[in-house]
Amino acid sequence: MNPVSFAERMLHIDRRIIFFMIGLCTLIPLLYPVGLAIKVSPEVKSVYDYIESLPEGSVFLLSLDFDPASKPELYPQAVALLHHAFKKNLRVIGMTLWLPGTGMASEVVSRVAREEGKVSGKDYVFLGWSPGASSVIINMGQDLYKAFPTDYNNQPTAEMPVLKGVQSLRDVNYVISLAAGSTGIETWYVFGKDKYKFELGGGCTGVIAPGLYPLLRSGQINGLIGGLRGAAEYEVLIGRNGNAVAGMDAQSATHFAIILLVILCNVFYLLTRTSKNRAKQSRS
Amino acid sequence: MSFEVILGAWVATGLTLFILTFLYQDNPLFKLAEHLYVGISVGYAIVKTYDTVVIRLIYEPMVKQGDWWLLIPLAIGALMLTRYVPKAAWMSRIAFAFVVGVGSGLAIPRVISSYILKQIEDTVRPLAFLATDGSTTFTYSLLNPASNLNAIVLLIGVVSVLFYFFFSVEHTGPGKAVARTGIIFLMIAFGAAFGYTVMARMSLLIGRLTDLIEYAQPQYGRATWWLLAITIATLIVFHARRKGTEPPQ
Repeated sequence: MNPVSFAERMLHIDRRIIFFMIGLCTLIPLLYPVGLAIKVSPEVKSVYDYIESLPEGSVFLLSLDFDPASKPELYPQAVALLHHAFKKNLRVIGMTLWLPGTGMASEVVSRVAREEGKVSGKDYVFLGWSPGASSVIINMGQDLYKAFPTDYNNQPTAEMPVLKGVQSLRDVNYVISLAAGSTGIETWYVFGKDKYKFELGGGCTGVIAPGLYPLLRSGQINGLIGGLRGAAEYEVLIGRNGNAVAGMDAQSATHFAIILLVILCNVFYLLTRTSKNRAKQSRS
Repeated sequence: MSFEVILGAWVATGLTLFILTFLYQDNPLFKLAEHLYVGISVGYAIVKTYDTVVIRLIYEPMVKQGDWWLLIPLAIGALMLTRYVPKAAWMSRIAFAFVVGVGSGLAIPRVISSYILKQIEDTVRPLAFLATDGSTTFTYSLLNPASNLNAIVLLIGVVSVLFYFFFSVEHTGPGKAVARTGIIFLMIAFGAAFGYTVMARMSLLIGRLTDLIEYAQPQYGRATWWLLAITIATLIVFHARRKGTEPPQ
């Protein structure tokens, strides 16, 4: 077959064939994992190290600022972070700035707490959602009990043993925001950390990760867990392989397939362009 | 396993498969799942907002604790609704003025401090370190974000990209070289952003396929297999019916 006509045919291939290939590249490694090595990046390690350095009973606030649309990337991060915090016997405060994610956030906090044998109100609390995003953070910085007089289960927060000695965000040792958009890590930095001086880390979807690296470099956040890959790295660090590690083979396979397709597409394009240029020259 | 979990698995599997059928072509199954997604999201948001805002933050504090001062923000908020009454619509401006005023007052100083001053401070890092004996040291590690070499790369990137967007001077001669350097830095940034986006989208696919694999297990009644068969059969029927009603070419 003429390579140029083959290249032209390939450039006009039915896109459903590409969808099918990508689907297979994802499905096969999920069914038959090979266990490729996962190297932990410094930005994920910093989050882990900071939680490791916290003494027992320290206050750890996890803000689950995402909705179910970002669940595959951020839910494994939340599970890994909660397991780590509960294992370290930290006092965990869960909350969300995203209304559609409230039910899911409550489910993950209570499920991991149950697995670790923790009790609501004593070892952890899920505050739920309150309207206003930046105003909520400012309110919490002034008085946590005015921002959240009751928790998600409508229990008064002022009498909870888990919040003993915690009056505002100034009394929180570490905050991590797991964010799927602009209401998240940046909001927590701008309206929270900058004013109330707690340490802040972040977890985010892959889409917004490049935009958050400047905050990491400047020290505005002390660590960043990016996407499913970041979640897998954290699972490796805490020695508890979950959905994120299981998905890494599929992630590598699809990335390899996409790189291959990009290279092939460029080769085919160059072949057809060269032949068109030759045809033009021969006509002139 | 409880009935609720199994039912949830069947609903999740069905809706996932319906949405994925769009990759083949647009069809009524996809539209059904899409409309359900939008409707349920809006319904959930309305119920949660009503429960949290109206009941917990307004009604209960006022009635149970006597916090009647909450009527003031409630009245300001209610002014927004006057938009629907043409003769009283001007009153909504009071509420908007309040929101814009408070929002700007809170955000502007904090945003300038966080996004501009802090970032400038980080960009203007020392290009060489002064050692204790008075000599200067220079670190070359590209893998270390704080190395001097990276500080120089960052400085070149920031200056060249800013110059590229400076349109008052024609980009000719040395200016052209600087602007082209800026384009290279922009292309690298776009490439990194696109790479991360691809990774994120693949992660979403992995998440859905992981669930489909799990729900194919016997304890879930092999939901994936049954619903896959039903989806394919329905698509074939739709395809055949559409073929029969298409006008001749």
